[in-house]
Amino acid sequence: MVLEREILPFWVWLLPRVDSDGVLHLGALLLFFLIVVGLAVVSVFLGYLRMMILQGPGEGFYAVAKSIATAISRDFPQTRMGRILAMARLAIQESLRRRVLVAFFVFAVVLLFAGWFLDPQSDHPARLYLGFVLSSAEPMILILAILLSVFSLPNDIKNHTIYTVVTKPVRASEIVLGRILGFCTILTFMLVVMCAVSYVFVIRGLDHTHTVHLDDMVPLGAAGDEAVSWTGETSRDAHHRHEITIGPDGFGQTDRQMDHEHSVWIVGEGDDQQVMIGPPRGALVARVPIYGTLRFKDRTGRPGQGISVGKEWTYRQYIEGGSLAAGVWTFDGITPERYPEGYLPLEMTLGVFRTYKGDIVSPVLGALTVKNPSTGLSSEPIPFGARDFVTLSHQIPQQLRAIDADGTLRDVDLFEDLVDEQGRTEIWVSCEEPAQYFGMAQADLYIRGPDRSFAWNFVKGYMGIWLQMIIITCFGVMFSTFLSGPVAMVATFMVYMVGMFKEFIMGLATGELPGGGPVESLLRTALQMNITIELDMGPVIDRVVPAIDRVLLFFMWVAATIFPDFGVFNTSRFVAYGFNISGHLLAQQLVMAGAFVVVLSIYGYFFLKSREVAA
Amino acid sequence: MDMPATKEATAPAEPVATGTESDVIIETRNLTKVYRDFWGRQKVRALKALDLEVRRGEIFGLLGPNGSGKTTTMKLLLGLLFPTSGRALVFGKDASDVAKNERIGYLPEESYLYRFLNAEETLDFYGRLFDMPAKLRQERIRELIGMVNLGWARRRQLKEYSKGMARRIGLAQALINDPELIMLDEPTTGLDPIGTREMKDLILRLRDEGKTVLMCSHLLADVQDVCDRIAILYQGELKELGRVDRLLTVQDVTQIQARGLSPEAQAEIRQVIAQHGGELLSMDNPTSTLEELFLNIVRDSEARPGRRAQEKR
Repeated sequence: MVLEREILPFWVWLLPRVDSDGVLHLGALLLFFLIVVGLAVVSVFLGYLRMMILQGPGEGFYAVAKSIATAISRDFPQTRMGRILAMARLAIQESLRRRVLVAFFVFAVVLLFAGWFLDPQSDHPARLYLGFVLSSAEPMILILAILLSVFSLPNDIKNHTIYTVVTKPVRASEIVLGRILGFCTILTFMLVVMCAVSYVFVIRGLDHTHTVHLDDMVPLGAAGDEAVSWTGETSRDAHHRHEITIGPDGFGQTDRQMDHEHSVWIVGEGDDQQVMIGPPRGALVARVPIYGTLRFKDRTGRPGQGISVGKEWTYRQYIEGGSLAAGVWTFDGITPERYPEGYLPLEMTLGVFRTYKGDIVSPVLGALTVKNPSTGLSSEPIPFGARDFVTLSHQIPQQLRAIDADGTLRDVDLFEDLVDEQGRTEIWVSCEEPAQYFGMAQADLYIRGPDRSFAWNFVKGYMGIWLQMIIITCFGVMFSTFLSGPVAMVATFMVYMVGMFKEFIMGLATGELPGGGPVESLLRTALQMNITIELDMGPVIDRVVPAIDRVLLFFMWVAATIFPDFGVFNTSRFVAYGFNISGHLLAQQLVMAGAFVVVLSIYGYFFLKSREVAA
Repeated sequence: MDMPATKEATAPAEPVATGTESDVIIETRNLTKVYRDFWGRQKVRALKALDLEVRRGEIFGLLGPNGSGKTTTMKLLLGLLFPTSGRALVFGKDASDVAKNERIGYLPEESYLYRFLNAEETLDFYGRLFDMPAKLRQERIRELIGMVNLGWARRRQLKEYSKGMARRIGLAQALINDPELIMLDEPTTGLDPIGTREMKDLILRLRDEGKTVLMCSHLLADVQDVCDRIAILYQGELKELGRVDRLLTVQDVTQIQARGLSPEAQAEIRQVIAQHGGELLSMDNPTSTLEELFLNIVRDSEARPGRRAQEKR
């Protein structure tokens, strides 16, 4: 699975730090406060500007000061849960009246017809099913969140029902919070049902069994021996069949097909003996990868970079086969206590780039070496065969053979000899076939910790959607306090789009991506001018266009900075690819969503409070 | 002309003319409202420097033709609009202070209620906004639904209600908190004659309970029937202010009503009543109708804009 951004431990993410390159990172908390202070200053200034135009400088200042003072001294402290709940109840009743539950039927229909879209012969059916349910639930609930949240308040104002509400002792904060709470409650209820239904859909969709008769099995071992093992094939069900091996104890398992395997055992005696096959195993997992840090050795064995094989994206770098080039992962905290089974469980998914095809079915050979980073002692190379993006599992045993400085082989202990005093060890991966390449990124090789519950991981995947839904609802309600319904809808949708493509927009705004700003791009598009050509349209245009673009890009930068990064919340691929969503990521998501709820509620309050609802 | 029976029966003693400061429930000082468009350009000057006082225990009527600024005044007092200049004070607090709403009940011009709720849910919702304890809320809901005679329709959604029924439930929600000050915007609109009568009786009853009522209406008969004092607005300006009975008194005319006089005596009475020993039933000034007064003011204002219609009160 591609993991473009490293998931930082929660506290590292939250607090300021200086990284290994000496670069200062502010941390989420400080950044949040800086943004809040910046927004507050700008908001107060704009508010004052508006009031100054309407009422003059003195009166305007008084009005702004008064509204802030009222908020802090009266309205916020006097906000009551009872009234928020009353407003929330109303929002729920309103949603139900607007037949929001129809969405269930839409979702049910989508699942019913899912069979049309899902390829039953896929090599990774679990990935397909999980990706499908999560990626269909997400837009559905987010569209609902937008539609519910943006029209409610403008409708109340348009129908004047707001008159009978705001003439009660209800604070603007309670109207905003009540709506957020109400819509989130009903949407949460819907999401929970969707989560449960899609879980059942996935489990049932992947569930299958095979049949096999003992007569079809081939006994292994000499006749007359007591212990006889068998091999054979299962029936073809769900578009695949497995090979079976059953040991002398009557227990065995199938090979791995379509990301799963089955347990197999023999029951009965004599002629009544039957082969039983268990449910599929290993398809729905929540792996806990323990990541190391990756560095590269170039073809001469010196520290350097991997090479690009012509793909534009620099995420994965390639090492050349048959050279000294290697990818080196360094892992921390390798102790026998943490790996009591006595081996180091590795998983690795490499990109394989072939410069000649030849036999493309056979894997490309590579080698793993375990090395002590302090002493330099390294194990004998462990060979493996890699196919393009096929996950390989390796158990590095505790007892290994290593090559001494004098070139002799001797037995070594993984934890004692190949791990240094700080608990670090290095895994070197090299490609053994000349002119073939292995592509690797930091997340491609990891130590696999004990698996977590898949069901809980599935729920965590849905929590990502849930938190996005909450943020979208907050934006919708906030916009609806001062915009009409349709405009608020467009605004909320824009926030979502900016959030989805935050990195891209940031890249444009900071000039990392070529092509200039909006005006320049428009010119280039109209004139069919390649982005690599200098903009050469005379001295005036050459100056004016970038100047306008700088202003526009600044606003894009501001939007990309303050709007939520929905990429962080989209964890469906973790679930689909069978990776555990770490608690650190979940904590970051929760804190971010909480911050947005607070800030957007406050904005909603001020917008609604400063609005003449009867105007 | 006789005053209506109900009015006579419940007419208060002299108005609270010499009220103390705490008796002033509503006060506007120089209250002005200018509606502007999106660009801040002036669209219409809806209210011009209004000075008003409404005192505790009176029924005060805001009267004026459509677009005269009555509803604007009420919305300013409720904080639904913000004044362009001047101040609106309710219970001595700024109209923008939400806390004042604890003691206010408001019936808007049309019953702007949530049509997807039924009567009980509606009152329950508004009761919750006052943070009323559940028991008290239920009691109050039962009481109010009984008062507005909607017991039979209390489980029906408001969208199925007739205009009159919606008006009644609107009134019930205005009274959910047992308010001290009740603001009624066109309270009798959409009511049949019986409903109108009941509404007027209710307004008088509320006054008898010591509550203050501010109502605005363009139905002159309603205002004449129930209001103690009125303010007549025309094009955003205050044209007349005072007690209804005084405003309607024609000062320079005397009206005599007599009974049991012989035709001769009737002939002589025009000379000296007292000498003939007839029973003098009444001798006072006749009143005009409010309609007449109102039309006079409107005509006068149109003829001479910007002038207060009558100098005498």
